[in-house]
Amino acid sequence: MEKEFIYHPIFIALLILFSFMLLICLIRAVKGPRVADRLVAVNMMGTVVMVMISVLALLLKEGYLVDICLIYAMISFLSVVVISKVYIGIYEEQHHNQEKAEGGNADGRV
Amino acid sequence: MDAFEWVRLFAGCLFILIGVVIFFTELFGVFHFKYVLNRMHAAAMGDTLGISACLIGLMIFSGLNFTTLKMFLIIVFLWFASPVSSHVLSRLEVATNDHLSSYCEIYGDVETLEQELTARRENENTKEEGGTVS
Repeated sequence: MEKEFIYHPIFIALLILFSFMLLICLIRAVKGPRVADRLVAVNMMGTVVMVMISVLALLLKEGYLVDICLIYAMISFLSVVVISKVYIGIYEEQHHNQEKAEGGNADGRV
Repeated sequence: MDAFEWVRLFAGCLFILIGVVIFFTELFGVFHFKYVLNRMHAAAMGDTLGISACLIGLMIFSGLNFTTLKMFLIIVFLWFASPVSSHVLSRLEVATNDHLSSYCEIYGDVETLEQELTARRENENTKEEGGTVS
């Protein structure tokens, strides 16, 4: 019973601290001037949320929450990779279209 | 509570404190640097070292059971995943930035970079020798 009184406040304090960190990461994600800035901030938020879920698993004494944390890590990694690949593809397509349009204009003038 | 419990409590608190300090360093770095490729360096530190320290502290709290094993799996997964995601993010930045040369020096290939570096080193050497002579 004594153990509860010591561990419980520690976990609550950690959760409050990490939620403030999450807020600061969110500010970076909103402010970031480029797309890569926002993705870095989202990656950081994923890391902080993983620690929060692990703390919650020990606080509630529910071991299966750590499984959710593992899946969260995989989905966070996958989302960063897929979003950056898709964005590179979109950018190159736009670039290609612009070059094509400029080339067409040049040919038309000649 | 016996002595072993107290030792466990303090060791876990120490590791979690290290992790929190590293997370704060990460946040400071991300707001301090001015460009994404610099910010990424600060952000990647928290992804591997910060979460490792925090989860090792929580592992010490939880004792020997399956929860500990799962937390160790998370750390191992992030060791592999974080460098890959950083690499992909930097490729995204280099591929989509039209004015990259205004942020950092760009070399076409590795050989030009090596030539430039050796030239710079020789230049510094001659400068130092000149300084000692004069």
